[in-house]
Amino acid sequence: MKKQSSLLRRMALGMVGVALAACGMVQAEETVVMDGSTTVGPIAKAFAEYYQKQNPGVNVTVSESGSGNGAKSLINSACQIANMSRAMKDKEVAAAKEKGINPIHHVIAMDGIAVVVHPSNPVKEISMEKLHDIYTGTITNWKDLGGPDKKIVVISRDTNSGTYETFESLVMHKDKVTGDAEVAGSNGHVKQRIAKTPAAIAYLGAGFVDKSVKALTVDGVDATAETIASSKYPISRPLYMVTNGEPTGHVKAIVELCFTEAGKKIIEDIGNVPPMKK
Amino acid sequence: MQLATRSLLNRCFTWLCGLSVVLMVAALFMLLGPITFRGVSSVIFRQTSEFDRMEHDLFGRGSEDKVKTEYDRMMSAAAPIFASMKAFEQELDGMPSSQRRELKAEYESFREALSELLGPIPGSESSLLARNKYGQTRWDRALVKFDHFRYVEDWVVSDHSEDGMLVKKRTPRELRFAGTKLESAFNYLDKDRLAEIMQPRLRVYLNFFTDVSHDSHFFGGIWPELWGTLLLTIGAMLFAVPMGIIAAIYLVEYATDNWMISLIRICISTLAGVPSIVFGLFGLSFFINTIKLSESKSVIAGSATLALLILPTIIRASEEAIRSVPNTYREAAIGLGSTRWHAITSVILPASLPGILTGIVISMGRAAGETAPIIFTAAVSVGAAPGILDVAHMPTPALSWNVYNICTEHEAVEEIRHVQYGMVLTLIALVLLLNGTAIVLRARVSRKLKG
Repeated sequence: MKKQSSLLRRMALGMVGVALAACGMVQAEETVVMDGSTTVGPIAKAFAEYYQKQNPGVNVTVSESGSGNGAKSLINSACQIANMSRAMKDKEVAAAKEKGINPIHHVIAMDGIAVVVHPSNPVKEISMEKLHDIYTGTITNWKDLGGPDKKIVVISRDTNSGTYETFESLVMHKDKVTGDAEVAGSNGHVKQRIAKTPAAIAYLGAGFVDKSVKALTVDGVDATAETIASSKYPISRPLYMVTNGEPTGHVKAIVELCFTEAGKKIIEDIGNVPPMKK
Repeated sequence: MQLATRSLLNRCFTWLCGLSVVLMVAALFMLLGPITFRGVSSVIFRQTSEFDRMEHDLFGRGSEDKVKTEYDRMMSAAAPIFASMKAFEQELDGMPSSQRRELKAEYESFREALSELLGPIPGSESSLLARNKYGQTRWDRALVKFDHFRYVEDWVVSDHSEDGMLVKKRTPRELRFAGTKLESAFNYLDKDRLAEIMQPRLRVYLNFFTDVSHDSHFFGGIWPELWGTLLLTIGAMLFAVPMGIIAAIYLVEYATDNWMISLIRICISTLAGVPSIVFGLFGLSFFINTIKLSESKSVIAGSATLALLILPTIIRASEEAIRSVPNTYREAAIGLGSTRWHAITSVILPASLPGILTGIVISMGRAAGETAPIIFTAAVSVGAAPGILDVAHMPTPALSWNVYNICTEHEAVEEIRHVQYGMVLTLIALVLLLNGTAIVLRARVSRKLKG
């Protein structure tokens, strides 16, 4: 019996020891937390990797939970940089101000929202009106777009997504997306759904377009670096990193990375367009 | 009922039971087989010489000279391709403009396919993204890229498709360059030559478990995820085990049967049935936003949330274990003059330890594998492995979350499927290992008790 109680005591002592160790914590590393858009995600991850290589001892973490969650994180001071593929809404700014947060938007890249279909779809182009009508549910067959007689599988994004918000204001003009639309949670998810669904249509950040999907021309314009930079492509938008107040230190350096030669190259390699000027 | 009918029914039932067991085992194998096979391919695979170069650059392993010699050898083996590309570029300049424009686009696609296979083409602009700096590091991926190099995939109108959709058509890329100087590149680079250039060989990449990842999981291992999962699980145990056992002791030894206690019991049972995402949201709003356990997502907030999730299991198991200790033990201890508390610590708890450990085993596996509770409280897509001293303010990647993250949110998931399966297998192995350790521990405690 003696032995058993000593075993128990040892276990208890061990736990107390670890708990004590956990209490005496010190801040050993500097951490920059980024949260938000899945569209900005690839740029943010590449920036994080590049910045940590240049500045050993700094830990930059990136989460991709959507623009809406990025904004919420910043408002709750849960991150230093909110990656957003749309600007903060008035409501969010008001909520931030209430908590003493002063959100400042930094444009870090330009992005086009590509309209994509399965590569087997013969349709090559779409107009903004037709796109609007597909997403309101007025047009439901590819035949109306000069395609095959097939029902259109409409894929949209969750309301937390900045890409959705931009699409809603630029294409939908605040009309509601049809209830028949399938909702995907991220750019990557959209791409995988399109690559496997021949009759589907969806929209996603231009940086995500690859051979598994086909991007349509919108109003006769291809989404290329030039047309996005000049806003000739009708669904172009800036991508943001939002900080609390004017950034300083590491946060400032990361946010302004997009103006450096290295940052511009990274953005281009990922498939977005670097911002014009500060 | 006739005796014959009864025995027939009996036999049918036996067969049915046997069948269901066989089905279950088959399902298990069908599930575990591919996971194991593909998961193992993240550790044991055929590497190319680009792997050594990547490993040297990113992880500082291998000798510089050797890597350089190997790279020079590779480049000289591939030199005829680059030479014919140069010749073609000159040829291109002399062509009439309509033909040039068409061929130029084809040539761009050729260059892209080649650099994806062999790495940056000498003389081209260097990229800062590691994924563009190296050719294929794995032979299986190299073969896929080689196929993209040899064949162009087009979607064309065809008589075969009835519904007006385009069909995929593979044409050899060299046909596009027929009659030009680039043709010799295709004659040169066949599969044997590719093997000569890239030198595929078997590699056991055990560092997969201890390497950090680079360029959003394109290269490297899963150490931050593995370590994060371990920290979260151990952290959850540190919170939940003492609390759970103390609660169980109170419920069995001290509480009298009244409506309050029944209410508490009902609450615990209900808690066990709450979906895990609810715990995640609660953890965010309580641990992070309300009591500010940490500024933002952190290991400690994630552990606390996971602890809440497994608490009911631990309480329930401990309660049963303590209740099953024969009353005579208690009576004997008190009869010998021990206090109630002393009787609990020296007699009842040791006697119920095997049962309590079972509860811990079950909940430990659950804590390691849960995703939803840590999405908002601890997990990030990319980040360093936090040190023990950093758990209060650093979020962490974790296996369960990153498996999900890679398959839904990663920009190029097809390129890194092996990492994803590696993570899945590691998670399963980790849970089995944790459970195994606990089972051995339990067996030892039981033996001690008997002896």
